[in-house]
Amino acid sequence: MASVKLTDVKKVYDNHVTTVHDFNLEIKDKEFIVFVGPSGCGKSTTLRMIAGLEDITEGTIEIDGVVVNDLQPKDRDIAMVFQNYALYPHMTVYDNIAFSLRLQKMPEDEIYEKVTNAAEILGITEYLTRKPRALSGGQRQRVAIGRAMVRNSKVFLMDEPLSNLDAKLRNQMRAEIILLRQKLNTTFIYVTHDQTEAMTLGDRIVIMRDGIIEQVGTPMEVFEKPHNIFVAEFIGAPKMNMIKTNLVKEGGCYYVTPFGARIEVDGEKGEELIQKGVKPGPVTLGVRPEHMVLAPEGGQDAIPCKIEVNEMMGSELHLHLVTEDETRLIVRVPTIELSAQQREHLGFGTQLYITFKGKVMHFFDSESGKNLIYG
Amino acid sequence: MTKYSDLEFLKLRGGQKFLYRLGRFFTGIPKAIAGFFVTVFNAIKSGCKTVGNEIADIAATFIHGDWKTKLSFLVMGFGNLARGQILRGLLFLLFEAVFIGYMVLTGGYWLSMLPSLGKVGPTKVYDEILDVETTQYNDNSFKILLYGVLTVFFIIAFIYTWRQNVKQNKLAEKILASGKPLKSGKDDLRSLVDDQFHKTLLALPLTGILVFTVLPIVFMVLVAFTNYDGTHNGYSNNLFTWVGMENFNTMLNWEVKSGAGRQSYAATFGEILTWTLMWAFFATFTNYFLGMFVAMAINKKGIKLKKVWRTILVLTIAIPQFISLLYVSKMFAKNGILNGFLMSMGWIKTALPFWEDPTWARFTVILINIWIGIPYLMLIATGILMNIPADLYESARIDGANPWQQYTKITLPYMLFVTGPYLLTSFTGNMNNFNVIYLLTGGAPTNPAASGAAGSVGYTDLLITWLFKITTGPESQYYLASVVGILVFIVVALISLIVYNLLPSIKNEEDFQ
Amino acid sequence: MSEKQLLDRSSDAPMKRHMGLKASRTLANTSIYVLLVVISVIWLIPFICIVLQSFRVESTGQVGYVIPQQWGVDNYQRLFQTDFPRWYVNTFIAALFTAVFQTIIVLCMSYTLSRFRFKMRKPLMRFMLILSMFPGMLTMIILYRVLSDLGLTQANAVPGLILVYIASSGMGYYVSKGFFDTLPKSLDEAARVDGATRFQVLKKIILPLSKPIVIYTVLTAFMGPWGDFVFARYISFGTSSGMNAAVGLYNWLNRDQIEKSYTLFCAGGVLVAIPVTVLFMCLQKYYVEGVTGGAVKG
Repeated sequence: MASVKLTDVKKVYDNHVTTVHDFNLEIKDKEFIVFVGPSGCGKSTTLRMIAGLEDITEGTIEIDGVVVNDLQPKDRDIAMVFQNYALYPHMTVYDNIAFSLRLQKMPEDEIYEKVTNAAEILGITEYLTRKPRALSGGQRQRVAIGRAMVRNSKVFLMDEPLSNLDAKLRNQMRAEIILLRQKLNTTFIYVTHDQTEAMTLGDRIVIMRDGIIEQVGTPMEVFEKPHNIFVAEFIGAPKMNMIKTNLVKEGGCYYVTPFGARIEVDGEKGEELIQKGVKPGPVTLGVRPEHMVLAPEGGQDAIPCKIEVNEMMGSELHLHLVTEDETRLIVRVPTIELSAQQREHLGFGTQLYITFKGKVMHFFDSESGKNLIYG
Repeated sequence: MTKYSDLEFLKLRGGQKFLYRLGRFFTGIPKAIAGFFVTVFNAIKSGCKTVGNEIADIAATFIHGDWKTKLSFLVMGFGNLARGQILRGLLFLLFEAVFIGYMVLTGGYWLSMLPSLGKVGPTKVYDEILDVETTQYNDNSFKILLYGVLTVFFIIAFIYTWRQNVKQNKLAEKILASGKPLKSGKDDLRSLVDDQFHKTLLALPLTGILVFTVLPIVFMVLVAFTNYDGTHNGYSNNLFTWVGMENFNTMLNWEVKSGAGRQSYAATFGEILTWTLMWAFFATFTNYFLGMFVAMAINKKGIKLKKVWRTILVLTIAIPQFISLLYVSKMFAKNGILNGFLMSMGWIKTALPFWEDPTWARFTVILINIWIGIPYLMLIATGILMNIPADLYESARIDGANPWQQYTKITLPYMLFVTGPYLLTSFTGNMNNFNVIYLLTGGAPTNPAASGAAGSVGYTDLLITWLFKITTGPESQYYLASVVGILVFIVVALISLIVYNLLPSIKNEEDFQ
Repeated sequence: MSEKQLLDRSSDAPMKRHMGLKASRTLANTSIYVLLVVISVIWLIPFICIVLQSFRVESTGQVGYVIPQQWGVDNYQRLFQTDFPRWYVNTFIAALFTAVFQTIIVLCMSYTLSRFRFKMRKPLMRFMLILSMFPGMLTMIILYRVLSDLGLTQANAVPGLILVYIASSGMGYYVSKGFFDTLPKSLDEAARVDGATRFQVLKKIILPLSKPIVIYTVLTAFMGPWGDFVFARYISFGTSSGMNAAVGLYNWLNRDQIEKSYTLFCAGGVLVAIPVTVLFMCLQKYYVEGVTGGAVKG
């Protein structure tokens, strides 16, 4: 139970490659924070610096107000779950979980209590006498969590703990981690490359790219107000459609003109544009696939396109569309909104029209990629 | 030579590819040499820069430091002591005391004698009481060289430690200025089993290597520039002294000199080097391919008793080589079992000259080396063959490859790629394979033209056995042995350098983690 | 065509080809068996000969036949009237001490180079690579003089030999470093996060997992001195009481000794080979693992 503060943290490897640039972040007590980003973005390195497994080239890391830069991992009072679990193969599950407690020279009775307790919570009591080799992936994962759990440490670090599990198990474990979090009630730092995990688990999400923080915010914030194109595309699946178009201002109202259509930026978004005094001109317009809808032919706001691929996902259809100037768009259409006849009809090459409302639009500077309102 | 792009290269046929690569390699040599000198130059430049920076830093530490720091320049560890780091301070102080004591007591003498390697040799002294002439031993060139080198090592260590002492002061001042406490002796000791554990672990092995490998090698390299031999042993008969490049001139000169036998040292060296390289080549590759062949035979699907065949071969690894080699060498002798058997069967009339004829002898050592080496290679090849993914073969069979094509297109490239570095070490190891040659033939049969004062040189002698013979020979020409040793080093280093640059990829050690 | 005919046709053609395949495979396998038998015989003959000749009573020199005309253990009895027991003990002591200390040193070195990342690591490895390119023989001259100054040669050769064997053993770290490299680094990290010092990591996590490589290292460290010839010969320098078995037995094959001692050599050789062969056969599995791993990692 502690706060973690990173100030101007920088990591340069021996080969002069900088993996983390001036990382600044304050993690509050009992917060669940998720570092997310594509591989090689420096998220794991940052976590390992907090753990003390990597040297910090520059800057300071504080845990509970104490600078821990020069402390060994064992002196930082942290617990960590590794991607490949790192279970000690020569020890039984019981010994694995008890390892850290024995190093603390805790009495065996107390160790027994704690280990069995943790095992019960995680549902691995019957495997306590087994060696890790004899466990399945999910069970190993639980042991790894159990090992970290019994320590009651200030900070709980998890480095892609679910990435070695299959999709079904991953969903299940994700839910269990949320439960675990409620039980442990401590500070969590969680690293993942999967945006779904980040969105579902985190109180706040730290989105990283090339060693730089792109945005920090609650799942809602990063989803609704992405600071730049990278964040906008990274969060949400399928990723946000990006359309190069023009922002026009006429009579106190903003319009966008994608593919010859003309759509008014109405509602809140329009007001925010006015408030910010955004200059008209070429912009990159972002619209999420679920925010695009099929439109009747011929309207002023209808964009004509052709179907390239139709993916049936069950509850919804993912339509991969191509516009007249070869821009590719994806539209999510709930299956329920379509009649059987319509569904038949949506095949390769079908001509159709789509449109979207002003409030779902995101405006980015085409050059810098910055959000024109929030960036 | 025309340079192909990567895609154009793909169009070439196998042989063309090889020729192209070879051509590129040789046309690349001048550039590589130039690159080498550039590297050396840059290294020197950066070295000078580092020294300059160090001196600047030392000066800055002195100027900006407080009185404790300033005094530490003279009395090592004073700063540590004054700031409460008793353990470190005492160690520094102790080191300085030992160093000064050593330099005053003996180090200064060794160092001062190093340029001359001793001035006064043994002298005859008349003992009046006993009425005999006794020999009084004075300077000892051997010890002067040895301890002189040691003293130089010690001085370097002292400079390094002194530099650390200065650094510590600077660091301590900085830490204290930021308001944090310094590490105590207890912290230091604790860190020796934790974050500094590698120093604890390396202390013993590295000391061993320094004293028993580095020091002797430096010493022996220096011996190549002296006239140290049986008649100049530096102590009981004559002192030895520096002679510059003279020994290299002797060794690499084509002139026939007295003592070199009927031909020049250079010719002898050239002959032995040629045979050494030939031997290393055949010894390495016959073992490699035959070992692989045996491994494949044993591993073939449907062959039973795999374990038995393997165990029989592995058994021969267990038996000490000196027994098997000596015994086999006698088996092949003129009156040995083999000749006896062949004659009793009536297949030959006179004994075969296995060890008497130069060509027979060379052929026989390679043959017996196969007998020695195949079990190792069989083991290694087995391990690697089992690692080749089976689906590679399945896919090749579906693509229509016959067994021979599977071997040349999958097995062999895979083996060569994986064992590239092993082949190199095995080649250089065979160049220095003392045991096999010495125990089998002792270098015989004698090569009369090459045999001179530097021991009797035989047709199967490798450079390494020659070196041994020179030192143990009647004149114990250590300086010549040393020259041979240096030349062996140069040859091995050159081969390693070339092969490493030709290997498909120098594997990153982290790949295996 | 009836259904039966159809069936026949469809099964017949592959059958024939199958038979052909099978026949050629049998032929290939038979020739491989023949080859393997020949190989086994060639590899075993010298050892069978040496054992047979060690029981020869009628003469002691080299003869052109293998099977003794008169059997007996005379040669083994005679061994105990020579310095052979002393050599044997010397060899055993040297091998034992070397096995223990060399293992410790090699493990220290290889573990450190595998797990720690310190500034001098790469330069150190490169430096050792260069050192290993010098013929080790060269250092013998000076080592002999230094050891003789310390009084550790000739009659006292055994401690001197042990010192020489173990002193530079840190250079042979490749194989075990390769092994440590295969142990996941995250094990170390997990243990360190769990509160272990580096020393505890080594003791509680790495060593228990390193049984194969420890056994391999002990085995090779034991076998090295057991069969060493060059250094032992140089350092004992003609003094019988300081010799090891290899040097002693070698001298029996000198031109002036061989007629008297050839069968003696065979008997001694058998006695020297037995313990190490038994040990080796028991631990063969670990040896094979080590050798294969070492070659692959270069």
